[in-house]
Formats: sequence, structure tokens, C-alpha cells
Amino acid sequence: MEKLKVTFYPYNQTIEVEKGKTILSAAAAGGIYINSACGGNGICGRCKVILKKGVVSTKPSGMLSVKERENNYYLACLTTVQSDLEVEVPPESRLSFDNLSQEELSSQVKNFSKPTQQSSYKSSTAEAFKNLPLVFKLYLELPPPNLDDHISDLERLYRQIRMYHDIPIMQTGLANIRQLAETLRLADWKVTVTLGKRDGTTEIILIEPYDTSQRNYGLAFDIGTTTICGQLVNLNTKEVLSTKMIYNKQAVFGPDVITRIVYAQQDNGLEKLHQAATEGINEMIQKFIQEKNIDLNDITCILCSGNTTMIHLLLRLNPTYIRKEPYVPVANFIPAISAGEVGIKINPRGLLFCVPSVSSYVGGDAVAGVLACGMDKEKELCLLIDIGTNGELVLGNRDFLISCAASAGPAFEGSGVTSGMRATVGAIQKTRINSFTKKVEFSTIGGLKPCGICGSGYIDILAQMFKAGILDRTGKIINQKDWHIRDTQYGKEFVLVEKQDTAINADIVINEVDIENLKRAKAAIFAGASILLRHMGLDFKDVKKIFIAGGFGNYLDIQSAQIIGLLPDLEKERFIFVGNSSLYGARKILLSCADMDKAKEIACKITYFELSVEPGYMEEYIAALFFPHTDLSRFSNINI
Amino acid sequence: MIKEVIENLPGLIHTVEVGATAQQGGTRSKVIKVGGENALPFLFKEGKIPNPPVIAYEIWDIKPADWPQALGYFYSDVWGDPLEWAEKVVKEYKADLLCLKLMGAHPELNRDIDEEAKLVENILKKVNVPLIIIGCGDDARDNLVLPLCSQVAKGERCLFGEVTQDNYKTLTAAVLADGHNIIAQSPIDINIAKQLNILISELGLELNRIVINPTVGALGYGLEYTYSIMERLRLAGLNQDKTVASPFIGFAGQESWRAKEARAPESEFPQWGKEGRRGYVWEMVTAATLLLAGTDILVMRHPQAVEKVKRYIEEFNKDKEGLCLL
Repeated sequence: MEKLKVTFYPYNQTIEVEKGKTILSAAAAGGIYINSACGGNGICGRCKVILKKGVVSTKPSGMLSVKERENNYYLACLTTVQSDLEVEVPPESRLSFDNLSQEELSSQVKNFSKPTQQSSYKSSTAEAFKNLPLVFKLYLELPPPNLDDHISDLERLYRQIRMYHDIPIMQTGLANIRQLAETLRLADWKVTVTLGKRDGTTEIILIEPYDTSQRNYGLAFDIGTTTICGQLVNLNTKEVLSTKMIYNKQAVFGPDVITRIVYAQQDNGLEKLHQAATEGINEMIQKFIQEKNIDLNDITCILCSGNTTMIHLLLRLNPTYIRKEPYVPVANFIPAISAGEVGIKINPRGLLFCVPSVSSYVGGDAVAGVLACGMDKEKELCLLIDIGTNGELVLGNRDFLISCAASAGPAFEGSGVTSGMRATVGAIQKTRINSFTKKVEFSTIGGLKPCGICGSGYIDILAQMFKAGILDRTGKIINQKDWHIRDTQYGKEFVLVEKQDTAINADIVINEVDIENLKRAKAAIFAGASILLRHMGLDFKDVKKIFIAGGFGNYLDIQSAQIIGLLPDLEKERFIFVGNSSLYGARKILLSCADMDKAKEIACKITYFELSVEPGYMEEYIAALFFPHTDLSRFSNINI
Repeated sequence: MIKEVIENLPGLIHTVEVGATAQQGGTRSKVIKVGGENALPFLFKEGKIPNPPVIAYEIWDIKPADWPQALGYFYSDVWGDPLEWAEKVVKEYKADLLCLKLMGAHPELNRDIDEEAKLVENILKKVNVPLIIIGCGDDARDNLVLPLCSQVAKGERCLFGEVTQDNYKTLTAAVLADGHNIIAQSPIDINIAKQLNILISELGLELNRIVINPTVGALGYGLEYTYSIMERLRLAGLNQDKTVASPFIGFAGQESWRAKEARAPESEFPQWGKEGRRGYVWEMVTAATLLLAGTDILVMRHPQAVEKVKRYIEEFNKDKEGLCLL
């Protein structure tokens, strides 16, 4: 096979590929990440590149404007290499980080940890010890040994630690013991120990000279199929210093967990997926330390919450059997491990923890969500709906918990939809179609000019279009002369914001293919919830609290979600919007060992319910593929 | 002695009237009513079944390319002349209802759309039975042809089809304006059948002007699946879900004559016997089963199969005490 060279700018990196491979696969082979939400199917239009030199062959795509085509833009996934090439990856196609302000992430999750003034963890009560973070530092001033007090260095250290905390079992790695004598004496017996909790035991993971106890940071991560959210936390004050979000780089290998598991079985596939995850996380960590001027060595732990497949890929565990009957993962309860072993760059001795999973398709993210909402303590019946790619649903209260995953796809995360974006600055999150002024009114996160539409924006738009008679019950756009509606190869397209009023120099639109994707997503979630309730002999009206989780920024209009049939027709008071509950749960666990124990309890308590073998599911799904639902009597209170 | 179980269901199937007499502003000799029952098919003890099922003869605007010789035996003399064909089935076979399929409008054949409209006009003049008019199945062409036909047939209260979830607006609007009824086709799916009825009725067409084509399979080709979907739809309707309480139309002829068992020549399968007889039995059995599933209008082809099925219907109705097996 003929080998050709493709040079990518601005990276100035040349990659050798076989003739006929796509530019996207060439980039992926070289570790260059080009945005792609659809996994290279030519649907999402995110992998635009500019051809500088060379010959390619491409397929037609409506995702490129005439102007872009004139300027040599191509979709990397539909364009194959026919000669040596020079290709530029424009900024919009590069992987980008989004900063989320605290305000944007404020949510109604209970027990939101407030910053405290506590500066060290010297307390002797057992209760206090349980509430310590998973990794904490202690500054110790040891009495130097003399002829009367001549116990060994390590025992001396243990003795001093036990003056503060009653820790029966402690362990220390050989490397630390080897350096112990020198460190203690050089630092004049004044050292800081970093203690990490590994299940039943406590380990001295780090011994540093002098007092570094003021500097102890941890990371909480929510590793989603579509987006990765990370938070830098001061472990002493419990304060959140920064929150960031990126699209999961694994998306180039497939949009959902199943395609990624299939990809993992290919040559080197698992390694590539693992790399993509760790690189994304490491890059985010680099951003954190630069932004907050923190030494990487002071980040002592990372806690990851994610669905079972994401955790497998992160740890490079073989995910093959997740997909095969009887759907068994390698591990649900991952012991604390060295972050370095996984390829996560924090303090080389830092620990990595994972929130325990329930089963192959209900992961630690659902467990963290339950913990964040406090469902496991509720007397009344609750339902947690995570409006994400995997659409985890948990039903129950303090007596029982049952969960299923309704694969919804990434549409509500702003992926696989034409103008979709994450819930970050510039995203349209709220709209109103004003029938009098014939204008689309909207507000964006941060109040800036719009760049795109996030999940909550899409929910609002669909409801508003439906109310205005621009959308029929099947999701087809109805031509109306007052509005800017045009025909495209993706069906009719409704222009929300004209090019000149946007920050991206392109119209912000919604077309019939987008609507189809959103409709399928909402149908999967609603049908999943209906079946889960029916399985338990319950009905939506029996549910007293419905927690809505998802990467929606700080806004979700419950009524809009009801109009489109995503959420059931119940009083508004029953809904509690909790935002990214997986990330919140992760942070809670990071900051408290007691919560880690609770998470384990929850994971053991949740019963997994397999939707795919439930005979009624498909029919319930088809019934939900309608706005709001085929059975209109289930939405009789929705007035439009 | 086992006690007889009598079940009374609360709902009622809509009554759809096809054809308009002079009194009603049309020129038909009679009106065919379908639906109106509040019980499952032929369960006379459980409720009222005022209108027995009817059979429509299928005729085409062009010579059908794939009708086998078994059908050609009856119709080859009138193929290509739809007016003669219409007259023949009405006069010779005593058809109560005609189903005219405008296959010639298909883009591959591309018959002039005005010619198709003219044909509808002429058939209405030539025969006086009520008329069902079906498009060629190509959405774009049907959307041109059928509204024209609807216009020329204004006042005759025909039954027009078919609309689907992806293409229902144009024909519904035409039918609404010209006073006809409509056939709503769904792909053997109760949810989609219901969704389509809601969509059509939201455009302003009353539910008693909709006939559901649930899509049927012939004997050996999914008939049992068809049956269960139809039964579930009918039960939902009889349990007061008005949006699915529509009469059914079943294209028994079209489906049966596609079956290999109906078409394959004797030379290929000598053990199966003569293909002519096989074909009509296939159509007859399919049609009879569809009756039991609740079909109100059967669209059929073979005159002898029609005769047999008519006898079934008569026998069933004679014995209003219960099922009478022939």
C-alpha cells in the first residue's frame, strides 16, 4: 500500500498514512485531535479542516457552506488522502477547554460543601477522621530520638500520627521508607505526611520536609461519554478553585459506549482510547495548575466518576465483556491505585480513586448522582434522571434503589446536532419565540453573543417551535412565512439567529435531522423511566421527587421539557434540577471518606434492570417518538 | 357446562360513510357504511355490529405489470382500459365498491396527471358504485395527482389514500376541502397508527373520515403479526381511545398475489398443484383471516375469492348467535 505524508498545522506534525485513509483517521493515528462528535460518520460537521496543499477525494456534505467550500474547507472524516497533504486544523475544530464559573455550576444539590476555614486535619475524634478527605496532609514535629526514646524512624512517624488520629493499620511504600531517615534528619524532624485512605488501611503516600500542609489539592472528574468535567478542589478548605469541561477525545472513535467497546477490540484500539482519556484529563490538569499557579506535586489525588465503560477505558481494562451476554465488567469496585500507573499526571505518588459501579451499564456516575441528591436517605419515592448520552435512571428511596440505562445519544449534550455546543459561555440556554414581534428572543450563558445551542436551549426551542406552530407532533418543521425557514439536504431548517448577530459568523439553526436526534433522545429517556416504573408496579404520579441531572449549566425549563415529552406531566414542585450530579457526587466523595463508604453502600444497594431485554421497551419508545407523546392523555395538563 | 363469557366494551368504532347519493350531493347509487360497532368482529352477543364488512374490487389505470395469468383470465380483456374494467366488475361481478389504483402516475410510467384526473371523472360517470382512489405510492407524484382527483370527485365522498406519517398534509388538506374520506397507512405499528390519526385530525379532518390501513401481510407472510396488531388497535378503540377507533381497510389481494405460493407455476412445484387455484385460495384465506381481525373494507382481486369471502360474511351475519363455521 502506498504511504503518503500528511502534515498538520499549526502542530507542524507529519504523519504517514496509507493512501485512501481519511484525514480524520490520519490525525487520530498521530495523536492529533480534531473535534468529531459523530465518530466520523459525516453527520456532525465538527471536523472541518483547511486543505493547504495536495489532492484529496471527498464526499458531498451539507455541513460546509458554499463559502467554506470555496476556501478549501473539507470534513476530515469524509475526505481521503490521495497525495501528500498539508492540512490546517482551524481553531473551531481543535479540542477546546471551557471554563465554568462557580455561578454557572451552582445547583440545588443538597449538602453542597461550603468552603471552610479549617486549615489542617489535626483532630482526634473518630467522627472527624471519617469526614476527612480521601487524601489529607499532616504537619508533624517529631521529637528527635535519644537513648531513652530510640524507636525506629518509621515507628516514630506512626506514633506521632497516632497522636492525632487513631489509625490502627498504616502502611508505607518501600520507596518512602528508603528515603525516610534522610528526610527526617535533613528537615530537622519537621515533616509533612500525606495520608491516603485505601479501603481499610491508611497509607503514607508522601513524606515531605517541613510544612507543606497548607498546599493540598485534589481533583474530581466526571468522565462522560461525550464530555469530561473536572474540578480542582482545595482539600484543606474544601473550596472549588476551578471547573472545566472538554469534549471527550474518545468521540473520534465512536459516539457511544458500544462503538467504543467495538473499537477497543481492534488492534491497539484499547490503548488509543485509554490515551485519549488520559490525555484529555492531563491537559485539563495542566490548565488548572497554570491558571491557579499550583505545583503539580501538591495535587495528591484524583477521584473519577463515570459510566462503567469510561472507567474501563480510563484504566485500560478490557471492556469486551461489557457488551457480551451476560454483560460482565472486569471490575465494579476499583481499589485505590497509583495515578501514575494509569498515566494521570499529578504528584507521582498521588492516588486515583473511582466511584464504584453497579453493573456494565450503570456506572459510578449514577452512584455519585444518587449520593449527591441524597436519594438513598429519602423516605419518599424519588427518580433521578440523568439527561446524558447514557441516560442513567435511578428509582427508589432509602428502602430500595433500581436503575437502568436508556441510551439517549449525545444530542442533549450539544453533540450530533448542527448548532449544538456544551453548556458554556455563549451557548443559547433559553429562548422564546415571540409571535407578535415575529422574533426569536434568547439568552446565552454569560450574556455574550451566541455561539451555538446547548441542551437546555434545545429543549426550550423545541417547545417554543411547537407552541408557535412551527413544529408538528412528529418533529417536522412547518413552513410559515413569518419565519426564516429554508430547505436543506437535512430537511427543513429553522434559522434562530442570523449570521451577523452571532459570535461565530454562521447562522444558528435547527434542522429536521437535529430534531429527529433530539426526539429520539427524549423518547429513550421517557420510555426508560416509564418502563422502570411499570416494572416496579408504580406510576409517575407515585414519584414525589424527580431529580434532573445533566450538563445544562444553571437552567432548565421544566415546562418546556414537559411540552416536548422529555419529562412527565407532574406539578413543577416535584422537579429538582441538580445539574452535573456525577461531578458533585465525585467531589463529595473526594472530600469525605464517609461518603466513599456511602457510595459503596449505594452501589451494592442498586439493583440493575436491563432495558434491552424488556419486551415492552421498544413499543414504549415508539409511543414516545411524538410530541409530547402518542398517548396524549398522559400529558393532559400541558397547555400550549 | 362452561359458562359463556360475555364482555361489553365501552367504546365505539367510528362510522365512516363512503359514497354520496344525489340526496347527499353526489351521484352514487348507494352509500357504503363501515364501522359503527362496539364489539369485536362477529361477536354479536357482545354488542352491536350494524355494518357488515365490504369488499372492493381493485382496478388499475394501466395494465398491471405483475398480475399473474390466474387474474389475467378474468381481466386481460379490459387491461389498459380502466373504464371497461370498472364496468365489467360492477356489471359482471356485482362489485359494491371499486378501488382504483392510479399506478400510471408513478414517475417511471409518468402518466399525465390531468389524464388521471379525467379518468376519475369518467369512472364516476361510467359506474355508480362508491369509489376508493389510491395513489401510486410515490409521495411527490401522489401529492400532485391525488388533489386533482379529489377536486374532480368533489361531493362524491370517495375514500382517498394513502397518507403516511411522512406525507399526510397535502392529501388531507385536499380531502378536507372536497368532502372525502382518507386512508391512513402505518407500518404494522399501533403507535404510529395512532400518531397518524392524531396528526390528521389536528389538520381538521374529523376522526369519522379516517380509515386505518394497518398494513397487512398475506398468509405465511406475517398474517399473524398483522392480526395481533389489528386486534390490539381494535381493543384500544373499543376501550374508548377515540384516536384509534377507526375502521380498517385491508389490501388482501395485493398482498396475497405477491406470495410465492400464489404465483409459482405448477412446473416449478408440481406437488403444489395448479397455480390458478392456489392463488385464489391464498387470497381467500388471507381475506377471511383479515375479517376475523376486524377488517371492514377488503380490497381484493380474484372474483372467485371475492365470491367465497362474500359467502363467509353472509354466513357469519346470518348466524348472529355466534360464529358459524362453513
